[in-house]
This record gives sequence, structure tokens and C-alpha cells, in this order.
Amino acid sequence: MQEIRVSKFEWTSAHTLLAGFLLACAVGAFVIGAAPLQMSIATIFLFAGIHNFMEFRYFAARMPLRWGRSWLFYTVGIGGVVMLAASYITLYFAGGNWLWSLDSWTASIATWNTAFVLWLAVMLFLRGRQRPQSNWSWAFPIAFLLAALAWIVPQYWSLSLVYLHPFMAMWFLERQIRRTKPEWLRAYHYCLASIPVFLVVLWTALSNQPDLSQETNLFWRISQHAGSEILPGVSSHLLVAMHVFLESIHYFVWILLIPLVDWRAVPWKLSEIPLFARKGGFPKVVIGAIMVSLLLVVALWSGFAVDYTGTRDIYFAFAMAHVLAEFPFLIKML
Amino acid sequence: MKQLICLTAMILLCSLAGFANIAQPDKTPKRVPTPKAAPGIVTTMDIKLDRDATQARLIIPKSQLKQLRAELAQFDDESDDTAAVTTPGVSRTQTIMSGLFLSLAIVFGGMWFVRSGKAATKAGKSLVVIAVVAGVASAATYVYANAGPPPEARTINGKMFSQAVHIYGFGWGEVKLEAGTEDRIRLIVPDPKEEKPSQ
Repeated sequence: MQEIRVSKFEWTSAHTLLAGFLLACAVGAFVIGAAPLQMSIATIFLFAGIHNFMEFRYFAARMPLRWGRSWLFYTVGIGGVVMLAASYITLYFAGGNWLWSLDSWTASIATWNTAFVLWLAVMLFLRGRQRPQSNWSWAFPIAFLLAALAWIVPQYWSLSLVYLHPFMAMWFLERQIRRTKPEWLRAYHYCLASIPVFLVVLWTALSNQPDLSQETNLFWRISQHAGSEILPGVSSHLLVAMHVFLESIHYFVWILLIPLVDWRAVPWKLSEIPLFARKGGFPKVVIGAIMVSLLLVVALWSGFAVDYTGTRDIYFAFAMAHVLAEFPFLIKML
Repeated sequence: MKQLICLTAMILLCSLAGFANIAQPDKTPKRVPTPKAAPGIVTTMDIKLDRDATQARLIIPKSQLKQLRAELAQFDDESDDTAAVTTPGVSRTQTIMSGLFLSLAIVFGGMWFVRSGKAATKAGKSLVVIAVVAGVASAATYVYANAGPPPEARTINGKMFSQAVHIYGFGWGEVKLEAGTEDRIRLIVPDPKEEKPSQ
């Protein structure tokens, strides 16, 4: 006797995630495509500082109180963040004076990029040693290949970092969903698959648009950040729109989706932070760091309100630290 | 030890004074100026195939040379502004470092491939064969891409105007530049006689 099963469609939270993501991307792509410069200014003003705070809060929750057998990994990771961020900021602010020729500037940037990829390779190698039957020494040839590219085409290398950084947040979210919300994983993969579709739509709609206005220093900086000087043959309207679109998803992930997936990342749940709640922890240091982070968010908003262009330049110089800080935690989650 | 610390502190303090005098970064946007269309000179050129000529000669009237010189002076003035924003080429250091890291990537990649035991598997062997074939094919492409067109397209003479050379769409050769007194540019092209095959 045959049994006939009728599968009934049931709307789940995963469907809500997919629908919400697609709707947000569609609205975002439309608005950003229509006014990329204005949306770039608005999104950075509103979300840049707060997303950094949420990232810091997430990393604080992931930092163990005792490093144990991971002490070498965390030492290399955090030491690398401090050293690379300090050298980047020095390069950023020292690069404008007459002591730097174009060659020395290019060599310094390429050296920094080389140190960056080698740092990543060492962390991957160390992480591979912690996993059973894993040999991640393949990271070194890949790092050397990337270093070769960083020396021969430094401008394209730096630009690729600008466009790849937003995907880091999506990768974090994927790893986190696997751990704490596996029922969302399939829907999230559909969300990720939709991003290239939105990018193609933006490309089709905007590739023939005239270049954006560069009449003010701010407009010029925004276009240059998106690669208008490196890719002069591509409409700066399209470049800025694509960059703002990806950055907006990045902000959206950090501020909304990651706390939804991982309750430990909710800012006020301090008991979920091992450094705060565990015996032998540093609760005062954690509270102090969170307070300072919140003050920096407010200071950033005030700075944007007073001098948007200057604050934006300073923000992006220091923002490299948060980009770097993402790597040790992401590699640790692999 | 104290002397060392004092000396380091003094050097740091002095360097502060030294670095304080460095000019502030230029805040003005370094925009790439839109290149102006050169006015140019519209003129007429005669091309003459000359059986007696042994070398191609391009004779430019003196009057037009003066106009070109004026344009050149204007171009030199503008190039002072554009020099700072010109996209740099690849320096010697970049090439050396890039080559070094590429070599390291190949060496470390090969070592990893062999040590991981993947080279002994069927898939590994296939990958090695594919890589070798791809490498040889790339090298062959590179060599063939550098092969020049036939000699007819590399010498400015009468044969350059033949149908056989047209397929290349370009050609080059030595030419002697001269200043002339006529009012038109003249290109004198040697036109050697066809050597008949001996019977």
C-alpha cells in the first residue's frame, strides 16, 4: 500500500531572513544607484561608528579569558593587529610630505601589504596546527603569490581590499550561522548568491552613466576611494554605487544580523563576555573599553557633523585597525 | 644604559623638531586634468615612390616645423602640472621583489604539493601534467606573440604598400627626418626594382 505524503509549506524565520535580505538589497540598490554620493555620506555618517562598536563587542565576546594552547595564535594575531595598524597609520599620515618620493611610497605600501599577507599565512598555518590532521602550509605559497601581486600591481591590490572587505562580514555571519543558527544556513546561502545578481543589475544600469561630480574635495575623495583613478575607463557613478552597496550590506550584517544570530553579540549582555563574567576576568577593563568605544561613536558623529571630510579621512585611517582585527577571529572560526 | 636612554631621548626630541618643519600634506584634490585636444596642424603630404632612393625620407616644411615647435613649448608648460599625477610605471625594485615572491610562491607551492602526498595520487599526477602542458603552451604563446611581421612590413619601401602587407595593418622602418623649403610634407619611399629569378 502506497503512502501519499503531502508536504505543507510552512513560513519559517529562515524565509523571513531571505525575504528581508532581498527586499533590503533591492531597496538599497535602487536608492544607492540613484544617489551614490549622498548615500555614501549618509551611510558612513549613520553606521560607520556604530558598526565598529558592534564588531568590538562581538570580538570581546569571542576572546577567551585564558588563551591556553592558542596563546601563540592570539599573540601573533593581536601583535600583528597592533604592529600593522600602527605602521599603516604612520604611512597614511606621513605619506603626504616631501620626504616621500613616489618610489619610496610605493615600496612602503608594498612592504606593508607583504607583511600583511605573511601575517595571515602565519595565522592560517598556526590554526591548521590546532586542527587534527590538518596541514595548512598551503597558506605560504598563496601568501607569496599575493605578495608578488602587491609589488607588481599595488594599486589594484589596494583597491581589491576595499571591495573585498565588505565580504568579510558576510563570511563571519556564515561561520556564526553554522554554529548557532544552522536552520538559517540554506536561506543565507541564497542571500549570498543574490549579491552578484544585484551587482550585475547595478553594472547594467549604471555602466553608461557619466562620471560623478568632483567639484568638492569630499566628492573627489569618495570617487577616489571607490577606485575612479585606478579604473578611469569605468563610470565613477557605478564604482561608488557598487562600493556603497557592498559597504551597506557590511554595516547591515554587523549591526543587525550578527546580533540576531548570536545573542552573545548583543551589546548589553555583558554576562556573555568571558573577560567580564568569568572568575579572574577584568570586568572594569571591559566596562571601561565599552564606555570608551561608545564615546568614540558619539565623537565620530560629532566630528562628522562639524567637518565631515576631515573626520572621514581620519576615520578611514584608523578603520584599518578594525579590518585587521577581523582576521584573527575569522581564522580562529575556521 | 642611562647614556643610551638619554641619547635615544635626545635624538627623538631633535627629530620631533626636524619633522615639525615638514610641510603639511596638500589638502587640495589632486585631480587628473582633462587633457586638452591638441590643435594640431592640418596639412598635405605627398608620398613618392623613388627607384633611386636608398633610404626613406620625411621632409617637413620649415614653416610647419615652427608651428610644431610652438605647440611643443605649450605642451612642455602643461606637462609640469601633469607630471605629479601621471600613473607611475613599474620600478626596478617592484620587478625584483615581485619576481622574488613569485619564485618563493612556486618553490613553496611545489614543496607543499610534494610533501602533502597529493603528487602521488592520480589526480595529483593529472594536475602536474596539466600544469606542465599549460606552462609550455603559455611559453609558446609568449614566443609566438613576440614574433615580428615579415621584413616587408619592417622596412619603409615600396613593398609596404603591397596587398600582402596590408593584412598586418601596421609597419615600421627607419626614416630620415629633414627640414624642407617646400610648403607640403613629402615622404620619399625607396622603391627597389623586383629581382627577377634567374632562369
